[in-house]
Amino acid sequence: MKLLFQTSWKLAAVFLLLLFGTVVTIRAQGAKLQLDQLDVLANKASETVDVRLDERLMQTTAKFFSGKDPDDAEIKEVLKGVKGIYVKSFTFDKDGEYSPAEVESVMSQLRSGTWSKILTVTSKKAGENVAVYLNTAGDQINGLVVLSVEPREFTVVNIVGPIDLEKLSKLEGQFGVPDLGIEKEKTKKKD
Amino acid sequence: MKTKLTIAGLVIALFLGARGPNSFARGDGFNDAVRTIEQFYHVKHQNIPLLARAGMKAVRTAARIKGGDYRRLAEAGSIRVVFFEDQNFDSRGQIASFKAALQSTLIAEWSPLVQTLTPKDEEQTYIYVRDAGAKFSVLVVTIERHEATVVQATVTPEILAELMKDPGDMGKALTDDATINDN
Repeated sequence: MKLLFQTSWKLAAVFLLLLFGTVVTIRAQGAKLQLDQLDVLANKASETVDVRLDERLMQTTAKFFSGKDPDDAEIKEVLKGVKGIYVKSFTFDKDGEYSPAEVESVMSQLRSGTWSKILTVTSKKAGENVAVYLNTAGDQINGLVVLSVEPREFTVVNIVGPIDLEKLSKLEGQFGVPDLGIEKEKTKKKD
Repeated sequence: MKTKLTIAGLVIALFLGARGPNSFARGDGFNDAVRTIEQFYHVKHQNIPLLARAGMKAVRTAARIKGGDYRRLAEAGSIRVVFFEDQNFDSRGQIASFKAALQSTLIAEWSPLVQTLTPKDEEQTYIYVRDAGAKFSVLVVTIERHEATVVQATVTPEILAELMKDPGDMGKALTDDATINDN
């Protein structure tokens, strides 16, 4: 009987650990958008860029960024805890080559309770709208999405894991994250 | 029953033996990628002469990465290259289908890192990565209108970290490293 009791406790502990691990994983996965449905746009787009940097790759390579180089040190700081960077960017020759349904397939995922729009900026190029969405659970930031929609370009940047918003612009032009003009807009706002 | 199995085994062994040393092993991402290109585009790769391969091993190239003045990206002897030259690569408006075909071929063992497509010129670059112990194997597929290259190389995590800063240029840097002989 005693043996059975001890075994049950051990099993319960293992179950709780597994459950905790699953919850953490689900939260992180919740910040990762499903973007594969956009792949068909590659047939119409004049240029497509698809970047996927998963957690294992990020963490393995992040430690090799030199702390001596100021730029590298900043990037290393930004990447701390990041579980993935996913970018899909489509450029078109003509207006109207992608439909509202494709934008909606992303937007519908951002309407869930854990996502909130924190920033809308009109970038330097006329007609370009950039929105930033944050996935949070309490004080914990689980991820971020930058959505850039303009007549001839459609870009989604999905960063999974905690990220300092003030340092977000440091990733522009790095790791496949396109230059979205966020830094300039923020500077303008301060002026 | 035992006799039938023995005969079947002999037939399989003879069949495998008859395929020769140039035949592709199953489950190898490099060869699978080559096969996918051949099947989708109805093209045929060219084997590189032995002397050319020897030349490639001595390659030194200007790496297009920040702070990378003449430096070698890939580990010595780790490079595998296949060329497709003077052939017609036309996906007939279905470039996304090729992307999907390559993805389904490699996804079991390789992680997609960067994919860039310009359908008008049939230009495509696919970069896949997988663990190779303490290092990484990088598979780069580059396709243009009339030629294509498949390169597999082993790189250190330090080199991969440098390359990842500009993933768009990564494929070109690695392909140049494997194919340009500036000696």
